[in-house]
Amino acid sequence: MNTNHIAIQVTNLHRAFGEIKAVQGVSFDVQSGEIFGLLGPNGAGKTTTISMLATLLRPDEGDAFVMGHSIRRDPMAVKSVLGMVPQEIALYEDLSARENLTFWGKMYGLRGAGLRQRVNEVLELIGLSDRANGRVGTFSGGMKRRVNIGVALLHKPEVIYMDEPTAGIDPQSRRNILDSVVTLKNQGMTVLYTTHYMEEAQELCNHIAIMDHGRVMACGTHEELVRLVGEQTRIDLTLNVEAGRVLEAWRAVEGVSRVSTENGQITVLVEDSNAVLPRLFEAATRLSTRITSVDIREPNLEAVFLHLTGRALRD
Amino acid sequence: MKILDIALKDLLRSFRSMFALVFMFGIPLLMTGMFYVMFGNIASGGDFNLPKTKVIIANLDEGGPKFQTSAKNIPGGKQARTMGELVVNVLQSKEMADLIQVSLAPSAESAHAAVDGQAAQVAIAIPTDFSKKFADPDKQAVIEFYQDPTLTIGPSIIRSILNRFMDGMAGVKIAINVFMDEAPESDYVLTGDVIQRYLDISLVQTEDLAGTLLDERAPTTASNSQTSGSQASGSQTSQNMLLRIVGPIMGGMMIFYAFFTGSSTAQSILKEEEEHTLPRLFTTPTPQAVILTGKLVAVFLTVLVQVVTLIIAARLIFGIQWGAPVPVAMAAAGTVFIASSFGIFINSLLKSTKQSGTVFGGVLAMTGMLGMVSIFDINSPTAARLGNTVSLLVPQGWAIRGLLQAMNGAPVVDVVLTALAMLVLSAAFFVIGVWRFNKRYA
Repeated sequence: MNTNHIAIQVTNLHRAFGEIKAVQGVSFDVQSGEIFGLLGPNGAGKTTTISMLATLLRPDEGDAFVMGHSIRRDPMAVKSVLGMVPQEIALYEDLSARENLTFWGKMYGLRGAGLRQRVNEVLELIGLSDRANGRVGTFSGGMKRRVNIGVALLHKPEVIYMDEPTAGIDPQSRRNILDSVVTLKNQGMTVLYTTHYMEEAQELCNHIAIMDHGRVMACGTHEELVRLVGEQTRIDLTLNVEAGRVLEAWRAVEGVSRVSTENGQITVLVEDSNAVLPRLFEAATRLSTRITSVDIREPNLEAVFLHLTGRALRD
Repeated sequence: MKILDIALKDLLRSFRSMFALVFMFGIPLLMTGMFYVMFGNIASGGDFNLPKTKVIIANLDEGGPKFQTSAKNIPGGKQARTMGELVVNVLQSKEMADLIQVSLAPSAESAHAAVDGQAAQVAIAIPTDFSKKFADPDKQAVIEFYQDPTLTIGPSIIRSILNRFMDGMAGVKIAINVFMDEAPESDYVLTGDVIQRYLDISLVQTEDLAGTLLDERAPTTASNSQTSGSQASGSQTSQNMLLRIVGPIMGGMMIFYAFFTGSSTAQSILKEEEEHTLPRLFTTPTPQAVILTGKLVAVFLTVLVQVVTLIIAARLIFGIQWGAPVPVAMAAAGTVFIASSFGIFINSLLKSTKQSGTVFGGVLAMTGMLGMVSIFDINSPTAARLGNTVSLLVPQGWAIRGLLQAMNGAPVVDVVLTALAMLVLSAAFFVIGVWRFNKRYA
């Protein structure tokens, strides 16, 4: 798959519900084969945006193209190239996993032996082959999430939308889902991923659009976003002796921009922790001082969001 | 193809629900079974034995103008010198012996006392001037009816017999009055001949009086009613009577619960919206019209399966005669269409399934009961007419009308007209319902 090709092109989307402007002029491009994250708190407009891109909602203004198909003019073509993993579990609980997948496969136009084979493949992929005939209603939250994702994969779509797929599940299932998203990307699929978990966006996404109040506040790679607001890596250290002369020595180390201490803990702000950390150790050794703990805190999207909106991401 | 996929998925879900199965098939059959057991003895092979109603009669009639009937056709083979004796003879006839146990009282008070003391269930007092008033064109002859208020079926049958008898006599009286206007006083003796002529052609000619009376409120096919009077044995007659009572009840139950099924199956549209599967369906390359049509086909198929199963099950379990195949098929098809489309219409008015409890419990129960009025208004012709009119104000009433027509052996054209009326109503409910759903998901 050509990674330079634009899979999703979003231009100036608007959508209001009565007086509430849910989405206001959202624009971004998603490259083929990448994971693109829409990051923002609840109510930021992520689900409304993804619903418009899935042709569930019609935009008041603007347009978007999914694999070249306009969501306004050719919604059926858009639907045929995308797989949607909704935020909520959207399955028939009184049907088995196999029956669910078979039914949804038919809705995507699969039939006969091809359908049966694809259902078996997807069951294998989501790790539920041994529970294929169990009713979904009896599954754990994590298993349901996996079936929920499996439905979207049945017709081997070129683009997958995943709307907060890890909301409300246990850490182990969450890990499985994050791994499967990476697997999908590695298989060449384009993934549009919405989340309000900063760590997920940071771990998974090649590009991230930070949304708030229906607008895209910033868009880029993780590094670009962090650089955008000038955040530095923070290193917290403790020593086996009083800081004293060590503080002065570290202030002189190349790449260190600030050194401060509080309650026996020293905080050093640096541009590049990989380059600076060995120098800090070397300076401490020269002064016969031993570093007893190190905690590196990379600049993160939480700080970016705080910087852009003046409030925390989880508010 | 996708329409069928969606419909079959909904069917599978419906028939996997124990709750739905119980409501669709269990309760209608159970309720009918209860009536069956109540009216007969299913375990002993189906003999229908109503307990005899004890009737005590105080015949105080002193007679009137010259009146005499021959013994030829009078019930009990007795002569009657007064109208009161004629009433007593009718009630004491051998044809009534299976239903009524008659005793006589010297006065109205003693007859009342027998009922009050539970020695009898019905007291009939025929006043001293009964015959005189009967003969007087300006007066009305009245019989006093006194019953144990805690009983219904036995006294209802007695009342029905008397009503029928008195209705017939009223016709005779009109004939007599016309005759008296034209004939000299000495010819009054001929009034007996007029009465006898009436008796020749009326109910006393029918051996199975009770069966005839029950025909009025629980009709069966024409062929059955023809034969039951002249050929049926005692137990066959009892069985026919039982089926004539239970048949319409089963039909009513079937229709009552078919409407519930139509509504609860159509509710799956709202349910899928709340379960988020409907929005997900809209993200698949399946047109919205196909999705909604699939859901609607599921409603029709579910009600169809229910109605056909209940018709067959009731035939096999209770031996209910539904009527000739074509009229029954038309009535059943009309029921399926109207119950399904009414369900779609009702659900299109709801915002969520949370409202369905109130609507199903209220609207469907109320309209269902109104629709069934025509089954249970058995005694009075006036009440029957009123009940039939009221029941047609609700869709269930039309479905019951069609089914009763089929059971009754009514002319096919009548059943066709009722089925057409149901189809027109169905089309109206369907169009409004679909329009509202399309508007909702546009």
